[in-house]
Amino acid sequence: MRVLANDSARLGIDVGGTFTDFVLADPRSNQLITHKEPSTPDDPSLAVEQGLACLLDQSALSPENIGLVVHGTTLGLNTILQQRGVETALIVSRGNKDLLELGRCRMPSPYNFLAPRSEPLVSRDRVLEISARNTVDGAVIDEPSTREFDDLAEAIRLTNVTSVAVTLINSYVDPTLELAVAAEIAKRLPDVHVTPSTRVWPEIREYERAMLAVMNAYIHPLLDSYYRRLEERLRGLGLKADLYITASNGGTLSIQSARERPVDTLLSGPASGVVAACALSSNVGHDDLVAIDMGGTSCDMSVTRGNQPMLTTSAKLGDFPIISPVIDVSAIGAGGGSIVWLDSENILKVGPGSAGADPGPVAYGRGGDQPTVTDCFVATGLIGPQSFLGGRMTLDRSGAMGALAVLGAGLSFHDADCAEQVADSALRVTTAMMAAQLYKELAQRGVDPRGRYLIAFGGAGPTMAVPLAEEAKLGGVLIPLSPGTLCAFGAIQSRVRRDFVRSVRHILDSSDSIVEEIEKKLTAMESEALEWVSKEGDGLSQPIITRRADMRYAGQAYNLEVGLPDFAGERASAAIAESFHLAHSLAYGFPDRESTVEVINLRVSVVRNLPEFETPGIERATGDAVATGSREIFLNGATCSASVYERSTLRAGHQIVGPTIIEQPDTTVWIPDHWTGYVRDCGTLQLDRVILG
Amino acid sequence: MMLDSVLLEILRNKVTSVTEEMGITLQRTGRTLYVKETADFGTALADLNGKFFAWPLDIGVSGFVDLDCGPTISAVGELSAGDVIITNHPYASGGLCTHTPDLNLVRPYFYEDHIVSYGWTFVHSADVGGKVPSSVSPTNSEAYQEGLLIPPMKIVRKGNFNEDLITLYRHNVRTPDLNIGDIKAMLAALDVGQTRITEIIEQYGLDVFLATQEALINYAAAKARTAFRQIPDGAYEFWDYLDDDAFTQIPVRVRLRMEVNDGLIHLDYTGSDPQTMGPFNVVTMGRSHPWVTLRLLSYVISQDPTCPVNSGVFRNVTVDLPHGSVLNPEFPAASGIRMAAGVRSYDAVNGALSKALPDFMPAAPGGNSIPVVLVEPLNGGQQSVTVVQFLVGGLGARKGHDGVDGRDPSFSNMANNPIETIEAEASVLVLDYGVRADSGGPGEWRGGAGQKIKFKVLLDGCQLLARGLERLRFPPWGAAGGRSSTVTRFILNEGLVSERDLGKIDMVSLDAGDTVTAYLSGAGGYGDPFSRDPASVRKDVILGFVTASGAEKDYGVVIKVGEVDESATETLRAGRTSPRPVDFDYGEEREAWESVFDDERMVALNRALVGHAPAQRQRIRKTIFGSIDERLLVPATEKRHDFRDLIGDGDEIAVSFDQLLSAIPDAAT
Repeated sequence: MRVLANDSARLGIDVGGTFTDFVLADPRSNQLITHKEPSTPDDPSLAVEQGLACLLDQSALSPENIGLVVHGTTLGLNTILQQRGVETALIVSRGNKDLLELGRCRMPSPYNFLAPRSEPLVSRDRVLEISARNTVDGAVIDEPSTREFDDLAEAIRLTNVTSVAVTLINSYVDPTLELAVAAEIAKRLPDVHVTPSTRVWPEIREYERAMLAVMNAYIHPLLDSYYRRLEERLRGLGLKADLYITASNGGTLSIQSARERPVDTLLSGPASGVVAACALSSNVGHDDLVAIDMGGTSCDMSVTRGNQPMLTTSAKLGDFPIISPVIDVSAIGAGGGSIVWLDSENILKVGPGSAGADPGPVAYGRGGDQPTVTDCFVATGLIGPQSFLGGRMTLDRSGAMGALAVLGAGLSFHDADCAEQVADSALRVTTAMMAAQLYKELAQRGVDPRGRYLIAFGGAGPTMAVPLAEEAKLGGVLIPLSPGTLCAFGAIQSRVRRDFVRSVRHILDSSDSIVEEIEKKLTAMESEALEWVSKEGDGLSQPIITRRADMRYAGQAYNLEVGLPDFAGERASAAIAESFHLAHSLAYGFPDRESTVEVINLRVSVVRNLPEFETPGIERATGDAVATGSREIFLNGATCSASVYERSTLRAGHQIVGPTIIEQPDTTVWIPDHWTGYVRDCGTLQLDRVILG
Repeated sequence: MMLDSVLLEILRNKVTSVTEEMGITLQRTGRTLYVKETADFGTALADLNGKFFAWPLDIGVSGFVDLDCGPTISAVGELSAGDVIITNHPYASGGLCTHTPDLNLVRPYFYEDHIVSYGWTFVHSADVGGKVPSSVSPTNSEAYQEGLLIPPMKIVRKGNFNEDLITLYRHNVRTPDLNIGDIKAMLAALDVGQTRITEIIEQYGLDVFLATQEALINYAAAKARTAFRQIPDGAYEFWDYLDDDAFTQIPVRVRLRMEVNDGLIHLDYTGSDPQTMGPFNVVTMGRSHPWVTLRLLSYVISQDPTCPVNSGVFRNVTVDLPHGSVLNPEFPAASGIRMAAGVRSYDAVNGALSKALPDFMPAAPGGNSIPVVLVEPLNGGQQSVTVVQFLVGGLGARKGHDGVDGRDPSFSNMANNPIETIEAEASVLVLDYGVRADSGGPGEWRGGAGQKIKFKVLLDGCQLLARGLERLRFPPWGAAGGRSSTVTRFILNEGLVSERDLGKIDMVSLDAGDTVTAYLSGAGGYGDPFSRDPASVRKDVILGFVTASGAEKDYGVVIKVGEVDESATETLRAGRTSPRPVDFDYGEEREAWESVFDDERMVALNRALVGHAPAQRQRIRKTIFGSIDERLLVPATEKRHDFRDLIGDGDEIAVSFDQLLSAIPDAAT
């Protein structure tokens, strides 16, 4: 591997469903170049190659000048959501054949008997049992004979699968037997990929652990060949830089690690957006943010704390659980394509149906005939029909108005401005819906919204940001310089990171033996972590290790993850328990020192930073910002006149007073009355409520 | 004031999210097993009449929307800011508490000096005292045996905890620390509600908040009415049975006549059996109640998923629940396992709806939601109590769709327990856990298969509880020519010389090495199974939901080496001799029972008993059935007699029944 210099250029690439985004940061020329290339779903690496060629043309750099490439992709995610992975089998302990069939037994709705559950990724006839099992103490009580391994291999061969996952009951206690089963299969079927669950995530709960292994097996051959092709294409363009892949936990992995365990990269796209939010926020002094990424079909929200993304161990991909730590992203409310409609009682509804990208909103003129949130933006004047996508696409405003006006009668709007009235109403409903869901999500995370800043990106995020911040009582709003390519920007900000877990079950009593046991396990986990990270590349910082533990009061349903104190010395057990009492008190308002504390999981994370790197900023303003014009906006039942600016003309230090529209090729920013905007040195636009009096 | 539709939608989002935030708070801090393992808790907002106008989406129990806080509120008299009412008394709370372990709290929410709504929350407590640990046993016959009875009273007065009440409570329950922890968690949830409601009122005004409550209920009522209008006007009769009342073999019947008139529903349960000696009674006080109306809510939401979930749905519903019946017992009848009769009432509504809308409604679901609980001895005489698994059947098949296997969210959409968690917490080894082959009711559309579990106990001196076990005798029924499923079975030491059918379980002692195997009934099938596409039968066989022999017997499809043998199938199907029910298939034991104890006779019997005191009615019935055949009086917890053997050709029994019926004395004598 090559040593990365501080001043060498860095390239971030994010492959999405519609566009492949590029950000090239060159510290030597203080330049940040962005580019969007239409994605090529049949071979996503093709768009990478084409876009990169285009990008290099725009810059003065040659391929050798690029010292680092960090890549994110939703390929794995989409493969699972669309169930297009490779044919996969699952090997389980005898008596556990219905592991996937039952899952955790829940249905999407307790009332609606028409609502179906999602199909398992592996059909029941491809879940094969073997006489192999541990007890909860790790003892082996069932072990297959050579003959049974032969029979199993033959059974797998007959299913014609290309990939196999293995999950044995209680393998999290001691993985030896599970690894032996995996090895025996691999020995007999060299062409089949094998993922043992404990190699991915050795945590208690067989279904959740199995699903990580199954998803890994399900996407492994596809991503392996994709990453190989990608590497070939980049080398073909003359790039010599190390290639990293962004991971679901907000970190990055070397391409080798990503190829070995692609399940770690499932949420690589959304994770990078939040990482970018953190990087930008540190430049403007806000460490605790709410981030929203509002695009065409959905809006994702997440939270940062102490300038780090908040992670979760209870994420879902559709109906499938992910229990390894990933960025805590939740869908709230609507996207630009969400459909506005009236139900049978003439109640105005927004979503959950979406016009998506095709046919898209009525205003796109591609055959959409149901009004959407984007049509409301157009009808109210928030989005200018001529300036959409930097003028590359003219919107059909009268079409949007016509579709919205159809709903007017049902809402008792009969005047000439009934389309505007409907649009205004629908945006109020959208705002309230998003704020209500945001509140709930923040409550789940134990986060108080008051005073926090909202960082908004995605095509529709900056348009909805201020109304949402008002409704949810957030402190203010931040709009990045390029909200449309933020994920690619986030990719080059991330650090090498991997998480490790061991499930234990220790009651914290006063004995030293428990603490010794905990220390022994943590030390083993740290060795594993250091061994792994030592191969992740040269030029990285010294490894930073964090130790945490999931704890709870005996009898509680939920664990709290708590940072572990240094526990040398006598009262180590009490010190660990005390760290939990404090955490419980902070989260729920009271400690319960009478209760026994249990340690459920031990967690270790290892991080190595990339060399320091300064984000290129923008020029200082020399005079006032100049509006390019003005237009009428109809909101909250009244019309006002808003100035219109172009984002590209704004310089650091510029101050703007609402009502104002700021247009840029990837989005439109709305600053209402009683709000002001200020351009920070890094180019980020900070919006604040005007304090009256 | 009238709310415009935009504001209504905005506030609907807000108040729903308040109930969810309350639920999250409770879920995270609650301590009892039931919060953790079975999501048996609730939070909601009630209007000034005590009816719910906002209900959380998928947090806590889903089924209690038709509860009414009104009687509890009026029972305590004047309320001040900072007061919180507590009750677990099924009768004194007017049916708000559906059994004694459900500790209910109601808090008036004030704005300035006025009550503007009520917050409600409940938790199923680990134990509230009484005869047995966990307070509920099938052999309880009086509410007094089911724990400390707390009538509606103030647990918090103007913000001050009622320490006297807490002290009394602490000394009457087996798990005081957990219970007090739960009360704190509920109070925290109620605090969240008050805070959020104040914020809403400050943003939108009190008038808007009050108008929202009424408008949301009206909105749900209008939507539900539209859904109910899909049901053709008319009267639809349907009945279903509890296997027995635990003390005898005698089935308990829930009889429904559903009258539909222009989207208004009347549920008339006249003719249902008298209140039971065992705790299977649903305390409704004669009012509309979730345990008798829940299936109507699920019907409405299935017709229109956008209908708000609140009490407005039930504004279109009236009920007739005869006094002294299993659905409206008289104090102090026990109600700990009210779920058993509630579930049968659910099935009866489902059946009546099936008669009205055969193309829309599914056949009967698996009909069980059973926590299998293991009590282990600990050092020092204490016990540890663990839910080994929460067992359900499947979902009923409906036209065009097979039922879902091994899942049934009808009563609670709760998660199961991972095997690894069970083995870490209880002294058991789970040998098998999954879906039971051939248990789904055969049909053109197959009923969902039930679950099975087999576990070995690793410690001497354990006890097994499985309260509310049903469908051991009468299987979930099939519809539109579909067949009923197989019945539920619990077996001790299956395959060993010590094998024993456990039947209806009260409490079973287990020692190290003993195994317990549970087979849950699946759900009913839909349509003639001999019309099922052979390719679908083949797929079921390959996947293992149906065995090859099951395919031949139940579907007339011959599978050889993984393929359909077409000519053999044709021959088998053409040569079918078994009777083909054209609509509902209730299973052979019910047919045997009803060959004598048909609707006419049983309605006549219950009518003859009406004049007698409710507690007397079961005694007279017992005498009658005992005179017919003593075996009918054998407790179901000891042995189960098959009705096909017991009834025989039935003629003799019919004669003696009719004589005994005419000999029932008048109440006056």
